[in-house]
Amino acid sequence: MNKPEDDTLISSARNGDSRAFEMLINRHYERMFAIAFKWTRNRADAEDVTQTACINMAKGIRRLHNEKTFTTWLYRIVVNAAKDFFRQNNRTQTLPDNYEPFSEALNPEEELYMRERLEEIYALPEKERDALLLVFGEGLNHRETAQVLGCAETTISWRIHKARNHLNSQREKKG
Amino acid sequence: MDDQNIKNLLANVKAPPVDDNARKRAVNLALSEFEAAGKAQNQTNKTFFQGFISLARLTNTITQDNRRKDPMKKKHIYGGLATAMVVVLVAGVSFQQFSGEFAPDKVLDLGLIEQTGMVAVLDEETIAPAFIEAIKQQNEAEPNLARPRAGEKLKGLEQKQKNESGLDHMAALDYAFADGRAEPKKLLATPEMQKEQTISTKQNSRMLQEGIVGNTLMAGAPSGAVANLYSVTSDYDDSIQQGYKDIGRDKFEDFKENPIKLVSEESVSTFSIDVDTSSYSFMRRQINNGVLPQKDAVRIEEMINYFDYDYALPETKEEPFKPSVTVVPSPWAEGRKLVHIGIKGYDIAPTEKPHTNLVFLLDVSGSMNAPDKLPLLKNSFKLLLDTLEPDDTVGIVVYAGAAGTVLEPTKVSEKSKILNALENLSAGGSTAGAEGIRQAYQLAENNLTKDGVNRIILATDGDFNVGITNRDELKDFVERKRETGIFLSVLGFGQGNLNDHMMQTLAQNGNGVAAYIDTLSEARKVLVEEASSTLFPIAKDVKIQVEFNPDSVAEYRLIGYETRALNREDFNNDAVDAGDIGAGHTVTAIYEITPKGGPLTIDENRYEKTEEHKAKTDFSDEYAFLKIRYKNPNEDTSKLITTPITKANDVDSIDKADDDTRFATSVAAFGQLLKGGKYTASYSYGDVIDLAQSARGDDPFGYRTEFVNLVRLAKSSGTMEKSAPVLHKEHPMHR
Repeated sequence: MNKPEDDTLISSARNGDSRAFEMLINRHYERMFAIAFKWTRNRADAEDVTQTACINMAKGIRRLHNEKTFTTWLYRIVVNAAKDFFRQNNRTQTLPDNYEPFSEALNPEEELYMRERLEEIYALPEKERDALLLVFGEGLNHRETAQVLGCAETTISWRIHKARNHLNSQREKKG
Repeated sequence: MDDQNIKNLLANVKAPPVDDNARKRAVNLALSEFEAAGKAQNQTNKTFFQGFISLARLTNTITQDNRRKDPMKKKHIYGGLATAMVVVLVAGVSFQQFSGEFAPDKVLDLGLIEQTGMVAVLDEETIAPAFIEAIKQQNEAEPNLARPRAGEKLKGLEQKQKNESGLDHMAALDYAFADGRAEPKKLLATPEMQKEQTISTKQNSRMLQEGIVGNTLMAGAPSGAVANLYSVTSDYDDSIQQGYKDIGRDKFEDFKENPIKLVSEESVSTFSIDVDTSSYSFMRRQINNGVLPQKDAVRIEEMINYFDYDYALPETKEEPFKPSVTVVPSPWAEGRKLVHIGIKGYDIAPTEKPHTNLVFLLDVSGSMNAPDKLPLLKNSFKLLLDTLEPDDTVGIVVYAGAAGTVLEPTKVSEKSKILNALENLSAGGSTAGAEGIRQAYQLAENNLTKDGVNRIILATDGDFNVGITNRDELKDFVERKRETGIFLSVLGFGQGNLNDHMMQTLAQNGNGVAAYIDTLSEARKVLVEEASSTLFPIAKDVKIQVEFNPDSVAEYRLIGYETRALNREDFNNDAVDAGDIGAGHTVTAIYEITPKGGPLTIDENRYEKTEEHKAKTDFSDEYAFLKIRYKNPNEDTSKLITTPITKANDVDSIDKADDDTRFATSVAAFGQLLKGGKYTASYSYGDVIDLAQSARGDDPFGYRTEFVNLVRLAKSSGTMEKSAPVLHKEHPMHR
């Protein structure tokens, strides 16, 4: 993605240039959708979440202080939209779409095993799951994750640590 | 699971390609919002200094966590102090005992909960530096203790993974079952199995959720108890997000059971018939989930009318139905009698079926996105399609955030086109039901068949939250539209946010039927087996008036029909709307009467008028006089059917009555028990089971057998409720 152009688009959008904003949002829609999908794991919900996120972006872009923080800001808007979505729809999880098999190389049992592990991740308490998804799913570092989730960096480390514990203790309970 | 594993797993959650329409929609919405925000900002800029606005900037100091912190500061101080005390205690104990088997997991949990947050808060507040020291020590101590254990676990896990044989996987499968977490199984399952699976998983978790709320409601516990249950049983106290839940928000109209009335004071009882069945299906669902339904959700007449009874049929079409009357001794009250009034509508022969113009009005709002809603709805309508004639037309209007016509009226012969339109529906957005109704009427009007049946079938799960949301306004709208000859039926789906009151209002005022669909077999019952009665009305505005003879009846009570009561003068007023009967529908009404000289509930007036009631002729063997008014579907003047209820209708004992009468009696008894058993004395669920069991008759579809099972379930949940007023259920997320 063309970095400097993003910055110019952002600053034009901030000054009320709707064309610039349109370009910006068109450019990032796919990425936002991908993030939303990671949280909702189903197309319809991900589209809903992305739509809300786009609207919130429109509301907030003028108040975005620093172009450099755009990426984390984007994350925050999508993640918050996803959280609101869950809250509004009285769910903590959505029904995942039937996604593709993980890998051709896996036999059904291994695949099943993987899928169970994945469900365990999604069954984690919201805060831990969010941290885990951002750090391991999206590849953000702890500082960025902290910015997205609006908490201290140490809190992120702590949540990740706890998430690991939960996952491991679940294995132990079952295994 | 190590980090790399988690990464690999999450990498598998890949988003599908972006849908261009969805993107355009989102971008357009965002753009209009952007412009609106721009206007708003221009205005604020005029009134404030620019610097002021910058305070409201979206920076990472304005976050959810911080927002929460302010009002909760006190809680944090006290909570922090309390936790710090615990930490000091635990630190002391654990240093001595860690070598032993002192549940280290628990200690970790206690000690480390919100560790980071805690230190920060204490720092800020500078309350007790000593505590911070203690916590820091604890922090240093614990990771060391934790790590070797975690390492062990990991090692064990790896070993297991390496050794994993087919058998182990079977075990894994087993616990997937036991857990009710079935998603992983999808991989091996056929599509049908998957469907069942998801539904059953849903049901499991719903059972947990609703179980809590339902029981709490019944036990009358304060709503806070729900929150308590969650937090008490959860392992992860610090991270519970009290998410918004759509439970216990089903709306029902409040009503009281009909009271006993003295014939000498009010000798005439008037009501409109009711062929709805939604109350029964809703109750069934609740009981199957292990909770008794709210009392307001129980409408006894709908429960009785859920079943098909074999009443005498009228001979000709001119007289669309004929009342059958039986008087039996009341099984639950010595000395009282039950008057059964049964009506069966004339059934249209398949060849005579009129041309049908149907408009499906479907709710596709976000809340319909559950396996027991939109997918069930689609399948239900497919069933209905099969019962239609090739010449009939079907149109589809959907509504969510906005309403739109998905399918212009199409002949059923072009079935694939209709199926396609149905298949392509997906759920999302809010609920603008009113606009949808408007469009559906419009579509039906455009395609109006003069001598056929015009009907809108509304399928929804709940509220109309956009547009006309006022129930009365909607009612007025539907009432006005009723005059165009278009009928409106309502099918309810799902649970948690069902707005039963709204459904009833719409169906009653739109000349239609309200039914509740919880399973595909219920859909089959309503839309296939009863298609003719659901679709073809044979009489509308059917009202029943019973005048009791004060010489032979002292008291009476109408069982059910509370929401359908009419004023005495409404009976002869053709402008007053009432219920409709479809082809082959049966309607049953039951009165409990106390014959003159029987055990009275109400004391007789001391200052009774002494003026003797002088009858012109001798009516001494008549209990009452039954009058039924109805209109033919396309007419506006009513016709009258009358028949006396006499001692000739008497049956000596309940055992000698026919199956239908006995079965209806058992359903009535069950309904009354669910409503609190105010009038049923010591009659119990067991007695209901015995009576229903003996009256099952033919029961080709097994509905009556199902009823007996429901009573059994209700019996056990009833006892559970008594013995354990607050049930401790686990948090559905953390088993």
